[in-house]
Amino acid sequence: MGVRLAGEPFAAERELAQFTAGLAGEGAVMSFLGIARDRTTDGEKVERLVLDHHPRLTLRSLNEIAAAAHERFAISALRIVHRSGLVAPGETIVFVAAAAAHRRAAFEAVDYVTDRLKTDAVFWKREDTAAGAHWIEPRDEDYSARERWSETPCPE
Amino acid sequence: MRIGFFGRLRDALGDEREVAGEAGETVSRLRIRLAGLHPRAAPDLLSPRVRACVADEIVDEDFLLGGHERVEFLPPLSGG
Repeated sequence: MGVRLAGEPFAAERELAQFTAGLAGEGAVMSFLGIARDRTTDGEKVERLVLDHHPRLTLRSLNEIAAAAHERFAISALRIVHRSGLVAPGETIVFVAAAAAHRRAAFEAVDYVTDRLKTDAVFWKREDTAAGAHWIEPRDEDYSARERWSETPCPE
Repeated sequence: MRIGFFGRLRDALGDEREVAGEAGETVSRLRIRLAGLHPRAAPDLLSPRVRACVADEIVDEDFLLGGHERVEFLPPLSGG
């Protein structure tokens, strides 16, 4: 299971090439790139992002999300590479790829992993703008995206 | 005892602070003590959304810190 924390910028196309090179006859690969936006939700220009992380809990959270995806979907391989530290606008923050015999499982696994990363990955994210710095917390829509994958449906 | 900070608390207080351990002290008592020492960070130190972590596990407010060398305070996660 390929989970990695990257303290420096990484080339997503190389990650994808390495990932597909390790496959053995799967019919589908789905990949996702999360890219640092250049504007805050209020439209201010972002100078940089700071992704603070925990020396052990962050990797553990990524591994738990990957293990849950393996358990839940019929995928044969999964890769998550997540940046930490200083991230410039336009740089890739996260790369996720899943491989499966058939496409549906690969699509769903990547959808699931990216939703869970938004609320369950152990990161603290600060946006620095000309007006100052502020720490970000998950938005309500991130929690409701996460909730889509809840094991027990909400009572009617 | 060493206290580790992350996210907004790291900005306010640095990576780590050392305080003398007190017998029978719980997480909630430590928060009050730290808030007194660092009034500007008090709202975060006292916030129930900021969780305490010992030996890589989240602990409750009545957790006894005696015998533990390090406790960490984790603000709400931003996600990936």
